[in-house]
Amino acid sequence: MNNRLPALLLISVFVVATCGLIYELIAGTLASYLLGDSVTQFSTIIGLYLFSMGIGSWISKYFDKNILSWFIQIEILVGLVGGFSATILFLIFENVASFRIVLYGLVSLTGILVGLEIPLLMRILQDRFEFKDLVSKVFTFDYIGALLASLIFPLLLIPHLGLVKTAYLFGILNVVVALIVCVSFKKEIKAAAYLKSASAISILLLVAGFFYADKITSFSESLTYSDTIIYSKSTPYQRIILTKKNKVLRLFLNGNLQFSSDDEYRYHEALVHPGLQALPNAKNVLVMGGGDGLAVREILKYPQVESITLVDLDKGMTSLFQSNKILLDLNNSSLLSPRVKVINADAFTWIKAQKKQYDFIVIDFPDPSSYAVGKLYTNSFYQLVKSILSPRGLMVVQSTSPYVAPKSFWTVNTTLECVGLKTIPYHNYVPSFGEWGYIMATNPDNVYKKPAKYLPGLKFLSKESFDLMLYFPKDMAKVKTEVNKLNNQILVKYFEEEWANVL
Amino acid sequence: MSYNSRLSDYIQRRGFLLRVGLITGGIFLNGCYKRLKAKSYDIPGKLSGPNEKAGHLLRDKISFPKPLEHSKVKILIIGSGISGLSAGRWLKQSGETDFEILELEAHKGGNAHSGKNKDAAYPLGAHYVTVANNEDEVLMDFFKEINVITHMEKGLPYYNEFYLTFDPEERLLINGEWQEGLVPEFGVPELEKTQIKRFLAEVEELRLKKGADGKFVFNVPVSESSSDKSYLKLDLMSFKDYLDKKGFTSKYLLWYLNYACKDDYGRKISDVSAWAGLHYFASRRGLAANAERNAVLTWPQGNGWLMEQLADPLDKYIRTSSMCYQLGYTDNGKVLALVYDVNTQQNRTIEAEKVILCAPQYVNNRLLRGIKRPGVDYKELQYAPWLVANIKVSALSGGRGMGLCWDNVAYDTPSVGYVNSGQQRLNTAEDGHTLTYYLPLCDFEPAVARLAAYSRSYEQWLDIIMPELEYIHPGLTKVITNIDLWVWGHGMISPSVDLIWGDNLQQARKAIDQKIFFAHSDLSGISIFEEAFHQGIRAAKEVLKNNG
Repeated sequence: MNNRLPALLLISVFVVATCGLIYELIAGTLASYLLGDSVTQFSTIIGLYLFSMGIGSWISKYFDKNILSWFIQIEILVGLVGGFSATILFLIFENVASFRIVLYGLVSLTGILVGLEIPLLMRILQDRFEFKDLVSKVFTFDYIGALLASLIFPLLLIPHLGLVKTAYLFGILNVVVALIVCVSFKKEIKAAAYLKSASAISILLLVAGFFYADKITSFSESLTYSDTIIYSKSTPYQRIILTKKNKVLRLFLNGNLQFSSDDEYRYHEALVHPGLQALPNAKNVLVMGGGDGLAVREILKYPQVESITLVDLDKGMTSLFQSNKILLDLNNSSLLSPRVKVINADAFTWIKAQKKQYDFIVIDFPDPSSYAVGKLYTNSFYQLVKSILSPRGLMVVQSTSPYVAPKSFWTVNTTLECVGLKTIPYHNYVPSFGEWGYIMATNPDNVYKKPAKYLPGLKFLSKESFDLMLYFPKDMAKVKTEVNKLNNQILVKYFEEEWANVL
Repeated sequence: MSYNSRLSDYIQRRGFLLRVGLITGGIFLNGCYKRLKAKSYDIPGKLSGPNEKAGHLLRDKISFPKPLEHSKVKILIIGSGISGLSAGRWLKQSGETDFEILELEAHKGGNAHSGKNKDAAYPLGAHYVTVANNEDEVLMDFFKEINVITHMEKGLPYYNEFYLTFDPEERLLINGEWQEGLVPEFGVPELEKTQIKRFLAEVEELRLKKGADGKFVFNVPVSESSSDKSYLKLDLMSFKDYLDKKGFTSKYLLWYLNYACKDDYGRKISDVSAWAGLHYFASRRGLAANAERNAVLTWPQGNGWLMEQLADPLDKYIRTSSMCYQLGYTDNGKVLALVYDVNTQQNRTIEAEKVILCAPQYVNNRLLRGIKRPGVDYKELQYAPWLVANIKVSALSGGRGMGLCWDNVAYDTPSVGYVNSGQQRLNTAEDGHTLTYYLPLCDFEPAVARLAAYSRSYEQWLDIIMPELEYIHPGLTKVITNIDLWVWGHGMISPSVDLIWGDNLQQARKAIDQKIFFAHSDLSGISIFEEAFHQGIRAAKEVLKNNG
């Protein structure tokens, strides 16, 4: 008996050491995946982890009685905390503010518990070996475990199991050690039955976690953003990701950039002001798409506008821009204004049921990259928009890049013209997007008068810059295209073709 | 009848019974076996079909209760499929309002019947029409009436763009990839492509060809086609023989033509006449101001939508769950219809001056017990059975190539593919799809296939359709949330050799005593909306003319 048990305990030193290092590596990798900047993340995690181990070692002196059963309990706890750590971090990641607190909290907790293990083990073993033997054996196994962990983690575990499963696997190993020790030393432990069942239940929990791990890692797309992700959420319609680098916020919908806070003013000023500035009597404004409230922010600058109706498919999107502090700063709380009414509906179905007329209509849909969205760029849709545009009113459509996708841009123009509207196409440069296009449209008997001046405080638009925007150089010049219809959806085809060369 | 012919009849009958016995027995044994083992597919759903109870009442000649009520009407229309509704519409528009339409089912519509699951309407039978041939003014008038044609532009009809099939329209899974369009191209060897081109060029020529009488060789409705003998002889050979003779051997081409015949007629190229096979390709010349030639019109509920447009204005004339089970004459020479109310189980009689029978001929055979139709051989009329499955899926995995279209077909599979019944939805958000899958049961002669179809259980149908669906979309089983199966025992008339231009149908279209008139797409030999629509009008005109 005396020979077998010390050997068992030394093997558990080895397992414990391997597990401990694996948890550290997981925390470091996860932090650099999710927060970016791997040097900073790894060194803070490693530092904190080693420091916490020190705390653990220091605390170990306060454990006096029943050291073996304390050891087993700590093993179980390390297994649970370490095993669930990756999952917990993935799941709470969406909650921006507390992520770092939880991350460092978990790292410290694991460090403290792992730091407790070795001193306790040494005390358990102290009566069974001579001191010099004990120190040599324990540390040998400890460092071999560390070497093994640092080799298999990048070579085997991450490629084959992934972070979350690896965490569970080593959590299971940790608790299995506890269980084996518990069974082997049952005569020396009080409450052995309680410890046995606790470890059995923990193993079951961890095994369950292991098998559900795939659902958790479906968030893996977060690995593809270079900036720090500060918010991510899947709504029934899309995946919303908000990133931040230095002071710049970027919004991605299904991986496509929607705006970048450092230059979105160029886009939104160009979208709204050339039209609305020319309509001194505009009272009712409709915005379709644009759930970020940034176009609405620009529209609210006009005191004559009495009501703004915003129709956006995704409630997840509009409520995010009605509640998140950083985003409220960005859109000036526009979606909370009493002049704004937010409707969450599918644009085509919604507009079919409308009678009320609007003086200014902003159409700010995502680019026509799918047949589903392509429907919102058809003559049938514009026919319906026309029917709710007041006789003297103006509408404006974001129309993708006339530089990258001239055929797509001019197809929108042709399609608007074919429902009997007169168009005013223009474009400007938005650094995050490149050269971008917009098309205003109005009833043919109206004369669009270029605004002589704009509201004070605009950062981009002026009379002079708009003159330039109306001019299309040769590489963006008008091309002849067909009309985009529900039964041909040519725009989607052009768009795919033209952007395929760029992306 | 000679002894010999009776003997051959007897042998044929015995062979038939043997085949039926073997097949249904096999299905029964398979059913017993399935009870013993666990279900292979755990997918919720139901199996249904046209009102079998009423159908059986009609066939089994059981005794009905004594009639309690008696009523009179000038014109009685039996059947509320497209032909019956079309006849009713014509009468009403001609100022004749003294008529009634009887329908044995609880719903209107016949083959244009549609269904609905939790999320969406879907077709159960016919599901599209093409834009009208421009000389078909009667049909164009109807399309204008119901805003399918919104206005005329430069002399051409402008079709309502919410009804023209939304793009993308068709894709074919072939050699591991979804290609756009149904004519095989992807991975097809050059030589075979040349044959396909030659065939398409030949039918293109036939499309514009006119007979000696100045009529188009192939037209919709069939009755407007040329009766030039040199073309009618195409009705005397099978489509397969025609293709053999023309040297069409490409397996891709033959697959495509088989697909086309299965799609429109529920039969293979060997079982339809060459005239019918070519008609599919060469009869449509519809031009529109805002769509391609022969563009397709469709609705989420398929032709159920067209049916509703016909039926809604006729609502007060239609009596559902009213089964006419026999027609006879009164002493004073009026037509007497015995009618059983399937709901109340009451019996009544209706006395009519004239009747338009808008039921398929196999039903008329039973209604007209004792009334002779000279020259009509009911046995010669074959009806192809079909299975229609409406499959609700929560998501649809991609596969290589073209994404989900309206019509999705897989090369060399038993079915004719599936249509996405949500194609005409305007929503940008997609929450799963309802796929309407059509399986013509054409591997056996119709009568055998029909009896086999009737004896299969829901689980046994899944055993038939799921392997194909899994082949088309690996992993589909996991995302299916529901399957509604519908069996059409008599799905559509088969235009077999010598049917369309033969004597049988010609006789069957003839009225009896100028009192009982007939209208149904089976009298054209081709089961499509336009034929039913025109048949109804033809019969209504005959009745009105006879009115004086």
